[in-house]
Amino acid sequence: MTNRRTPDQLIRLTVLVMCGLVVALTALAAVLTRPQIDGQQLVGVLVLGVFALAATNSDVDARAGMGMSGNVMVLIASLVVFRYYGFFLGPILVGFFGAFDLQQIRERSWSKIAFNASADSLSLFAAAGLFWLIVGSGAATADVSQFIGVVVASAVYLGLNSMLIAIPVSLTCDEPYSGVLRQIAGFNAGGFPFAILGLGLGWVYLELGAAVVPLLLVPILIARRSFASYLELQASQEQTIETLILALEAKDPYTSGHARRVAMFAEYVGEELGFGPRRMERLRYAALMHDIGKLIVPNQLLNKPGRLTEAEFERVKRHEPVSVELLRRIDFLAPVAGDTTTEAAEAAVKGDAALIEPAIIHVADAFDAMTSTRSYRRALSQETAFSELRNGAGTQFKIQAVDALIHAIERRGEIYGEGHEVDEHEWAVAPPEAGTGSAGLGDLVPEEQAAGA
Amino acid sequence: MNRWARVLVLFGGGAAVALGAELAQPGTRWAALALIGGAIAAGELIVLRPPYREAIPISFAFMVVLARRATLGEAALVLLVALLATFLVRNEPSTVEGRLALFLERFVEGMAAALVYRGAQEVFGLPMSRAQVLTALALAAVAPLAVAEIARMVRQRELSIPMHGRTADLALVTSATLMAVSDLGVEGRGGMGLWGPVVFTIPLLAAWYSYEHLEIIRRTYDQTIHALGAAPELGGMVREGHAERVADLCTAIATELAFSRHELEQLETAALLHHLGQVCIDEPDDGRAPEAVAVAQAGAAVLRGTRLLAPSGDIIAAESMPFREKISSRPSVMSGQILKVASAFDELCEGRPERAGGALEALHSCPGYLYDIRVLAALEVVLDRRGLLEDTASRVSR
Repeated sequence: MTNRRTPDQLIRLTVLVMCGLVVALTALAAVLTRPQIDGQQLVGVLVLGVFALAATNSDVDARAGMGMSGNVMVLIASLVVFRYYGFFLGPILVGFFGAFDLQQIRERSWSKIAFNASADSLSLFAAAGLFWLIVGSGAATADVSQFIGVVVASAVYLGLNSMLIAIPVSLTCDEPYSGVLRQIAGFNAGGFPFAILGLGLGWVYLELGAAVVPLLLVPILIARRSFASYLELQASQEQTIETLILALEAKDPYTSGHARRVAMFAEYVGEELGFGPRRMERLRYAALMHDIGKLIVPNQLLNKPGRLTEAEFERVKRHEPVSVELLRRIDFLAPVAGDTTTEAAEAAVKGDAALIEPAIIHVADAFDAMTSTRSYRRALSQETAFSELRNGAGTQFKIQAVDALIHAIERRGEIYGEGHEVDEHEWAVAPPEAGTGSAGLGDLVPEEQAAGA
Repeated sequence: MNRWARVLVLFGGGAAVALGAELAQPGTRWAALALIGGAIAAGELIVLRPPYREAIPISFAFMVVLARRATLGEAALVLLVALLATFLVRNEPSTVEGRLALFLERFVEGMAAALVYRGAQEVFGLPMSRAQVLTALALAAVAPLAVAEIARMVRQRELSIPMHGRTADLALVTSATLMAVSDLGVEGRGGMGLWGPVVFTIPLLAAWYSYEHLEIIRRTYDQTIHALGAAPELGGMVREGHAERVADLCTAIATELAFSRHELEQLETAALLHHLGQVCIDEPDDGRAPEAVAVAQAGAAVLRGTRLLAPSGDIIAAESMPFREKISSRPSVMSGQILKVASAFDELCEGRPERAGGALEALHSCPGYLYDIRVLAALEVVLDRRGLLEDTASRVSR
């Protein structure tokens, strides 16, 4: 019988090893550099430590691919300041201040705090060692070697920090380490300009004194505030659009939740294809609003059980060009709006289209339509839906999008369709088991059989 | 060529001139001035767009760096060359006249920074202390902003100075001061050379990035609301352009009645979406249009389900209420009355401006409890200002 460790045990072990390494490295550095701490160094640790603490606790959540981390700026500034003072352990002490996230303290997440402190310290040891090597013994605060030193130290700090943080995240989420590392490194890369700015902060602190530091902090705070407003508005807008779409979907109880599910499936595909945050955001919006044209279709037609007359069908079909027209009026969605019709998405299958988004939405839409109960037929099983998508891949659907969706759903172990629908329906006339025109797939059963069902 | 390609061309041009100057005559100040000129030219295309305020270019910050480094003559020459390069490369404003006017305005703004810095230097005397340098640079940074504000007032023919979005000015002034002080140092200390302005451009670029994202998300939100408002029109349920015309009229009437900016925004959204309810309710079987009250209540119910749009939902619900003087001072009720008047007016006009007089008369002749007389009076002022009541006036005088 194998005795495998659980992820929690592995994380605790990692934290212990890292803390041990920090203690050992600190002792080694103390022996090698024999620091003699004076008042100037102590004030430096306290002032920069308070900046680091404040920066950590006012970080803006960055979802748009750009870090707004003030902490990294302060840590890099501490490299510059304590190189000038000749105090190697200074940045490590400042890093300890920055590890104290008040939210984590309130939640008594001591292992997280210990992990963050040790990850910061280990990254800072590497960054400080390189910085001292590059800058040499020169005490100048502004020269080319300082700039090169800061660039290298920042890259090393952010890179090593990403590698260390990816360990517990990968264990907790049970995701491959390389994938998690890629995501965290991408996020940390957004903090690089702020790391470079650490050189400026260090310079301001040493040359002009702490009193002039606000000249640097004011524009950064303004940028952070605007960024926070952006994130807030983005979240509100998303909630607003989603609520509006859901309320309007109430026109047709059979498609309740359809837009949200299509957006979710589209996101699955986007993730598989490695979309960046902006592209993902646009994909999600476009998917959420892909059927917005249904607003113009009278409720009676949307809820009509059984077959539509030709005139009724024409009226329902009008929702596609209206959807396109409405999306085209939104600059952000316009590049993908012109192609969200079934015909254009089919054209995209042939590889003519510049963007794959319409094809993704087309596949997500078809999959959800097949795995949901509609007024004209009950939900199909996931196997049937996958099989239909595979059969249509290369002709009706883009192969890349079909493969990505099936892979994403299977990887998550999720099951949709017959017997797994989230929304319960109450219908006046129960839909038939099978029907015609399922999400543009054509008749799944011969017309005579459907009529008889 | 996209914006970033233009930025690269302009800055690259400055760098090339700097290299040429250094090779031709090593050690002169012209290489540094050419680099700053390149930054001014490129900075013209990177603008901060705070909400409710005219955009300001980050070139203003480089103008302060130039003001400290250059004599007045040098500053004039660098500005002329840099702004001329931008004039040739930029595509906004779309007309040559517009670009020329902007070129001249920017030149004056740049020279204002240089003049103010030199003036402060004269007043303080040399050598300046740390506080004096910082004060002189901050004043030089305010100068182009002040000139831009005066130019705006002249363009818009109004004497007010709105205070919204002034944090962008603050970001620019503090960054510009720091960029200039880090370039040459102060009291013989420090001085990072041109690395200083490079490093301290980062906070300004972060501010630009944030404002840019904020602007994009605001625009997307506005366009989404406009698109949703157009849905009943695309479905043939409402006359084309009705929502936009009603929103425009509502905003004008509410401005006349001294509504706050926030109230104006909520009313405009309500006006754009006031027929949204029509797409949610069943069409009457006899082919008639659905009841206005039902449409308003259905639309209000949808909007009230969201945090951002709930106030606009209240306004739409209030639109269907008859006018009652005692309760009409509540903002949503008053806004609802404006919406009711504007919507009825547009329906009476059938989208044709020449029918404005007749439509106004028709509204005035309705029973007193139906429309708020204050709103009707404000509508009359708006229409009169737009010259839409001339026919009526001439008819009356005849």
